[in-house]
Amino acid sequence: MTEKPEKSRERRGMSLADRLSVSRFAKTTTDCGTLSEGLRARFGERILGLEVREHKGGKGDEVQCRDLWVEVAPETFRPFLEELFTYDFVNFHVISGDDVGDHVVLNYHLSLFQRVRGGRIGVIVTVRLPKDALSLPSVFDLLPGSEYSERETREMFGVDFAGLPNKALVFLPEDWNEDIKPWRRDAAGPTPEVLRELS
Amino acid sequence: MATTYTIPVGPVHVGLKEPVTAWLELDGERIVSARVRPGAIHRGIEFMARERNPIQVIYLSERICGICSFSHVLCFIRAIEDLASLSVPVRAQYIRTLVLELERIHSHLLWAGVACYTIGFDSAFHLGMQMRERVMDVLELLSGNRVNYGVATFGGVRWDVTPELAKAVRETIRYYRREFAPFREIVMEDPVAQARMRNVGVLTRDDAVRYSATGPTARASGLRVDIRQSSPYEAYADIPVEPIVPQDYFDTARGDVLDRFAVRVLEVYQALDIMEKVLDGLPEGPFLAEPNLNKVLASLKKAEGTGWGIIEAPRGDDTHIVRLKGGEDNVCWWKVRAPTYANAVSWPVMFQGNELADAPLIINSIDPCISCMERMMVTDGSNAGIVTKEDLLKRCRQKTFDLKAGKFPGGFNGFKGETKR
Repeated sequence: MTEKPEKSRERRGMSLADRLSVSRFAKTTTDCGTLSEGLRARFGERILGLEVREHKGGKGDEVQCRDLWVEVAPETFRPFLEELFTYDFVNFHVISGDDVGDHVVLNYHLSLFQRVRGGRIGVIVTVRLPKDALSLPSVFDLLPGSEYSERETREMFGVDFAGLPNKALVFLPEDWNEDIKPWRRDAAGPTPEVLRELS
Repeated sequence: MATTYTIPVGPVHVGLKEPVTAWLELDGERIVSARVRPGAIHRGIEFMARERNPIQVIYLSERICGICSFSHVLCFIRAIEDLASLSVPVRAQYIRTLVLELERIHSHLLWAGVACYTIGFDSAFHLGMQMRERVMDVLELLSGNRVNYGVATFGGVRWDVTPELAKAVRETIRYYRREFAPFREIVMEDPVAQARMRNVGVLTRDDAVRYSATGPTARASGLRVDIRQSSPYEAYADIPVEPIVPQDYFDTARGDVLDRFAVRVLEVYQALDIMEKVLDGLPEGPFLAEPNLNKVLASLKKAEGTGWGIIEAPRGDDTHIVRLKGGEDNVCWWKVRAPTYANAVSWPVMFQGNELADAPLIINSIDPCISCMERMMVTDGSNAGIVTKEDLLKRCRQKTFDLKAGKFPGGFNGFKGETKR
């Protein structure tokens, strides 16, 4: 062992409960290759897709940061997020998504190692939800900052988040017909009669 | 047992610049809990993008916000560049960084002015507005516009930094280093401002981490986070940025309104330093990879995939995600997450235990994104009349021509010499 025990503890292996009780960003980083190997070792076949994307910049045209795009099944999503917490306190950005026919695809945009110069890794966790089971566990208990995104995904796509305390509309008007899900492309989406062309 | 009562602040309120509602539960004057309801200004802009091609969406994204319009454009463009693996000439990266920092100054000056107005310090508000004109003149000199600049495009920028513009920017840097001191004094020395803002609307470091706060709001709570530092993009790859946190300037980071004020004021000075380094290091070469828009559109029509753009906008990290489908002209879907979207979740935490009278100050303290698209009104005291849209357009264009000819309004002697005092 070449590292001091407390340093390696910070880099890896801090339990979810410890991480949540400390509420600090890690001061050290893990490189993207080690992170993806660690996640592969933990989840194996349950990782359905994994891609590393590099971003170059500056006069040297060198790699400045990397994003990790991962796809997991809905039942793996929550354990996967909890595993990310063992590396660093996860920073939540937003949930994006689309209606792709028989599924609704959601992408969770997260960051790790934001505290470290050049160390940030953007993590995108993609989950495909079949339309007959549009539900995911809420991450509100771990990341209360996700509240608006979960409420928005609920009102725009009709995805239910189990455990989200406040499921009221967030961006749509108070008198909105909640049967209409604006970002859906099927019968649940807006029909031409309810759309007003502005341009 | 005290009874509480609930009152709304907003959606339209004299202290707010943007429609948002905060339902405050009060025990006397003390705020017990708060519930925030946005949505009064939701325009479905992401839905509109589904009927537009990527180049049209550049101009749509510019209209999300009137203050950080360049941040949104660049973020969208970087998302497209991410999915289509487009490269950007290094000169264009530097010009983009220059405009980002000019915009940061413009945004922080506006905020500093509005914050002073909110605490009743109106003379500082007017001073801030007056100072902001200078940076807007530089932006107009670059792009022809004060607000929606139309500078960035896929694979580069549309306007070059000419030697005249570089000179004007350097003059502006000197101007702000000389004239911006009153705001630094308000934060560091003014006892009245400190009494009004210290320990108001506190967001602790733990809560800032848990609630994924971002930008100056997170840094004011003591978090050393800045996308320019943690994942450098554009010219920040060559120009290191150190996050500005209050514990480096005061004894500790309290995460209150004064700390948020201080972080923004100090970031203005930081932006001036960055702009100077950009101009010093501005490389020669092309500033646009492919000037033919039809070729760009044709190549984007073949591209397929999802791209993520993330940059440090004046208010925090701005995130755009976009998907293109091969063979389709239009954007498949687009998701925008402005910094306020992230920071607004922390409002209820900031409200707790504060007084009702501080509510507008707390709301304004995260610098909520204001869609201000109005242009300056031209009035003439001796001949008051109605200025039509056509007149305004004519005067707008005339002003740009005047700027380019070296004639500056408001007593400035252009950027050719020192300011007339």
